[in-house]
Amino acid sequence: RLLCSSTSQGTVQSPQHTHEPHPLSKQTVTELSLPSLVDMGFTDSQAEHIYDATSKLRGTSASKHSLSTLTVMFVLGLKPSSVLTILEKCPELYTINELHLHQRIGNMRKLGLVEGSLQRVVSHFPQILTVPVKTVKHMVLFLKEKCQFTSQQVTDILRDSPAVILEDKEQLEYKFQYVYYRMGVKQADMVKSRLFRYTLEEVRCRHCFLERRGLYQTPDKKGQTMIINSKLDSILKFDLDTFLTDVAKGSAEEYEVFQRLMAREWQEEEEQLHGSIEA
Amino acid sequence: EKWAATRIKHPATGLALQNFDSTYSVQLGPLWLSVRAALLSERKYGALLNNYGHDDVQAELQAKGCKDFPSDIETEAQPCLEQEPEVAGEEESSRVSVNKSDLDAQQLPALQLSPNIKCLVFPRGDITRFKPARPDMFGCLGYYLMDAASVLPCLALNVQEGHNVLDLCAAPGGKTLALLQTKSIGFFGVNDASVSRTTRLRKVLHSYVPKPLLSDEKLRITTFDGTKWGEFEKNTFDRVLVDVPCTTDRHSLMEDDNNIFSKNRTGERRRLPQLQLDLLLAGIEAACPGGEILYSTCTLSQIQNLSVVEQAIHTAREDHGIQLQVVDLRPLTHMFRKTFDFAPDLPLGEMVVPHLAANFGPIYMCKLRRLT
Ligand SMILES: C[S@@+](CC[C@H](N)C(=O)[O-])C[C@H]1O[C@@H](n2cnc3c(N)ncnc32)[C@H](O)[C@@H]1O
Repeated sequence: RLLCSSTSQGTVQSPQHTHEPHPLSKQTVTELSLPSLVDMGFTDSQAEHIYDATSKLRGTSASKHSLSTLTVMFVLGLKPSSVLTILEKCPELYTINELHLHQRIGNMRKLGLVEGSLQRVVSHFPQILTVPVKTVKHMVLFLKEKCQFTSQQVTDILRDSPAVILEDKEQLEYKFQYVYYRMGVKQADMVKSRLFRYTLEEVRCRHCFLERRGLYQTPDKKGQTMIINSKLDSILKFDLDTFLTDVAKGSAEEYEVFQRLMAREWQEEEEQLHGSIEA
Repeated sequence: EKWAATRIKHPATGLALQNFDSTYSVQLGPLWLSVRAALLSERKYGALLNNYGHDDVQAELQAKGCKDFPSDIETEAQPCLEQEPEVAGEEESSRVSVNKSDLDAQQLPALQLSPNIKCLVFPRGDITRFKPARPDMFGCLGYYLMDAASVLPCLALNVQEGHNVLDLCAAPGGKTLALLQTKSIGFFGVNDASVSRTTRLRKVLHSYVPKPLLSDEKLRITTFDGTKWGEFEKNTFDRVLVDVPCTTDRHSLMEDDNNIFSKNRTGERRRLPQLQLDLLLAGIEAACPGGEILYSTCTLSQIQNLSVVEQAIHTAREDHGIQLQVVDLRPLTHMFRKTFDFAPDLPLGEMVVPHLAANFGPIYMCKLRRLT
């Protein structure tokens, strides 16, 4: 208890402490200093950014993680400028235990994210390093078992849409089922079109828009349709204007109103479902 | 399994969609995509204002952002309106303009619309819904919710002071009520072949119109077969509304109950164009020479719209010796283009086509004038 109160004083109070080397910091070699940051290859202003960002941590037990985090990043082969961007996107990384970092990175390698992809994933979605190995494993299992993706497909999903790791499983399952059953799209096409980058609302709204225009049909049991459906890829990948002119052949005015109508429709459906469960 | 269930579980609505896909994609071309999406999405309503109510409902609704569409017309439309009939007359002899032949009428605006009909709508793109109307202190309802496009045939009918008017297929009474708002009808014949639907119509009238105005000498509600009208009331009415039963496209896509596309109603559906023709011919006979007839449907189908009118004009001339003139409604579509989307270049009559941002209709209408 005593320890607790003294650390909180050190972190919250007296900002002047943060600018001068804290007495405690001298005792540990793991504290960051401006010169040491410059030594690592950061420019002066980058070093200052990081120094400021970690100032609140200084003197706490978390402070030693900052240095190990930077080390891990450099070991991954990331440039100082990328490291800074990553840390700005996800400051939480400063406080992560080195062991955990190693475990998480090791796990991603095991999942098939080899050099190149690994760096890309960390750069685009640094939050992935804050996720416990157990959570990642659960999600991988879920993708394999509930959604029947192959190991390679799971690797591709993690590489292209790592944020999937943090998604709500129920929502994810719903999105998968929607695309699988309602749109009749197979796993390989889902991976190819980077489905998990898009929200359920986006996917559903574009699909329903096409469907109501008569440009998309749910395949029958034999997988057949009366019309040729657009590929999921071309439904998702274009910006709205291109989607409207090339795929849906509709106007922005129509789509804008349609989105609002759908939002209301779905909200009411949900409310009804909710109501009937409660009743 | 729940996913399979959302697929065509409703056979009749599915059959309707199949039917429309094959006929309307040909008839409307690429426009069908847009109309289809609108038909399958939530429709918009209009609030037909009840002039017999006591609350200031109009102000209330306007405060919420509604506008009275019949008076919400583009001002720059006015000069066009006066020119258009002439242009129309030169272009096409079958589309004779309203005032072309009549020297007296030439001083009047090109197209007269029934006065006092007010219908409030939320602007284009606004998807706000109306609340159900509440009764005022006398138990009278302030507005009637209906497809705003259904008000157009009533406006186009152009009822004048003291006119005898016949509403041949009137139930459940939306258009009847709109016509009553003009407060200028002399005698009003209101008919519908269906007893149960006429009961509904009576209820509607009683919740909107004060009793004295529904007295026998002003209003007569009947449940006859409209096709036989010519046999007992010929050459009588100044204005006749013939709002025929049709495939009710929007309803047929959304509701399985009572769906005209269900297998057991195939015969009835096939007979619709003949029934429509018979009703229109009866309406034509019921009108007096010089009188005007308005034919309307809520389908996009050419066979139930244009073809019926064409056939009726022909048969009226050949079999009944009645000459008819088609009244150009283009001034009307021009006036209300802010509120509705109209089908472009229809050879006969005008049609409101549903659009997601203005999700009214479909309503087809064609106005005829009896010359003899
Ligand atoms: C489109 S609805 C009329 C809607 C009505 N005008 C309104 O605005 O509320 C067509 C009506 O025609 C009626 N009908 C069908 N066959 C008829 C006939 N032979 N004679 C008269 N009415 C008929 C139906 O009962 C139905 O109510």
